[in-house]
Amino acid sequence: MFEPKRPQKALKYEELRIYTDAELNNYTEEELKEFKIKHEIPKVEELEKGPWPSFVADAKQEALRRRKLADDRMMIDRYVVEDLLGQLELSFNDGETHWKHGGIVGVFGYGGGVIGRYSDVPEKFPGIAHFHTIRVNQPASKFYKSDFLRALADLWEYRGSGLFNMHGSTGDIILLGTTTEQLEPIFYDMTHELDQDLGGSGSNLRTPSCCIGKARCEWACYDTQEMCYEMTMHYQDELHRPAFPYKFKFKFDGCPNCCVASIARADIAFIGTWRDEIRIDQDAVKAYIAGDIVPRGGAHRGRDWGKFDIQKEVIDRCPSQCMWMEDGKLVIDNKECVRCMHCINVMPQALRPGKDTGVSILVGAKAPILEGAQIAQVIVPFMKAEPPYDNVKEVIERIWEFWMEEGKNRERVGELIQRVGLPKFLEVIGLPPAPQMIKAPRSNPYIFWKEEDVPGGFTRDIKEFRARHKR
Amino acid sequence: MKTPAQVTSYIYELERVGLSVEEIKKAIIEFASNSKKTRFYFKDMEKAVQEKIPTAKAREIKKAASELVNEGTLIYFSTGSTTMYGLKERCASDEPQQ
Repeated sequence: MFEPKRPQKALKYEELRIYTDAELNNYTEEELKEFKIKHEIPKVEELEKGPWPSFVADAKQEALRRRKLADDRMMIDRYVVEDLLGQLELSFNDGETHWKHGGIVGVFGYGGGVIGRYSDVPEKFPGIAHFHTIRVNQPASKFYKSDFLRALADLWEYRGSGLFNMHGSTGDIILLGTTTEQLEPIFYDMTHELDQDLGGSGSNLRTPSCCIGKARCEWACYDTQEMCYEMTMHYQDELHRPAFPYKFKFKFDGCPNCCVASIARADIAFIGTWRDEIRIDQDAVKAYIAGDIVPRGGAHRGRDWGKFDIQKEVIDRCPSQCMWMEDGKLVIDNKECVRCMHCINVMPQALRPGKDTGVSILVGAKAPILEGAQIAQVIVPFMKAEPPYDNVKEVIERIWEFWMEEGKNRERVGELIQRVGLPKFLEVIGLPPAPQMIKAPRSNPYIFWKEEDVPGGFTRDIKEFRARHKR
Repeated sequence: MKTPAQVTSYIYELERVGLSVEEIKKAIIEFASNSKKTRFYFKDMEKAVQEKIPTAKAREIKKAASELVNEGTLIYFSTGSTTMYGLKERCASDEPQQ
């Protein structure tokens, strides 16, 4: 049962609203069609012509709204959005950016959460002379009340540009564009009134994010929301006061379907798994074969794929070929299963993950900023994940200790493992090598012997050897 | 309940930390004032402090640096992806002007 770490505040949303709905719906469709921003932006407007919704169209709506709001209903420049589009047009013409990135901006006591951004042509675009970004720590699984979003949007309309981004790749809500003077008031309103923290940026632990987990998904092998919350609260200092060599991300996926893509993005990915057997309902398997149950929960029904064929669509697709039919029953050789989830995804009513569940811990994924992209690799094949998660925290802290000691400036933990080698990393973390850590354990020599572990060491009497083995 | 041995080591730890936080702060300020660059990574600051005070742990250095930030002596400089520290008076001119 969920227990908050501190008393939860009952928010009175009607008191938190700054604007009335009528005040925000202050233009007509005709006015929007006629509306021209103060800069000529033919290249930017090209972006509106594609088949998808365009941020340019959205930004124009916001620009028009700000034109019509009363003077005392906005704390920053009325033309901030128009100047933003104007500068983008200039960048398209010049083929280079006009943002100055970084700076000494922040809120008191926090080393992250605010990203300083300035225009390098402020005389042309005074509205975006300061255009700082604020990261907002999203609730677990991004479950919001619409009241909360309205209150947050009102705050941002009043003290910022009114533009925001749902969501950044770490999962935060990204508030785009405000001035330095507004940072502290926004921080105060957000933490004291909305009971909402900033997210992580800079050389910090970044905002942890999780899939919808047990809240909505029967495949979740552990409570991703609870673990995400626990880690967020436990590592507050790491989230807000930077002392790492570079960024560090946690992501929590309830099952190997990996809906938040932790395996590709997180420095430590926690992916739910099981160590017993896939649960099979043989009657449901028969029903799928007979066509009584629609496969894949009804997904991909846009065209006729023909009658469901368990051999073609499930058994032949198994990457480790660990399943077959025997006397009309589906049989799975569970010790060969690599948890790809394909069979479970195709026949969700017949197959379910096992009951002895926990997490696999994978380390080292990253996007290509300094070095190339990397995918995470298994460090702990299976671990129970139950509150207070002391076993998981121990692994995390050992990894941090090593990375903070050995990592170079701006080196991600995945790059550090590449540099020093997995055997060295495992030795420092204190984990034994395991076949699950590599793709082809039968042909890849993943255990490296040390001289002291080998009887007689690495030297030998060659004459004595040759006496027994002819050249 | 803590055993007497644990209590002793705890007190010893507290004394060690209590004694050295001010020293660490001094070492940080000295490094921040004299370093070639006005902005530096935490890691470089850590190395410089540990040269002076070899027993100082990364955690203690971080604690001391956070206190200096809260006092307003040090400031964070963040690009969004990386964070650096700097002495406020040396960095004042770094802030992009309008």
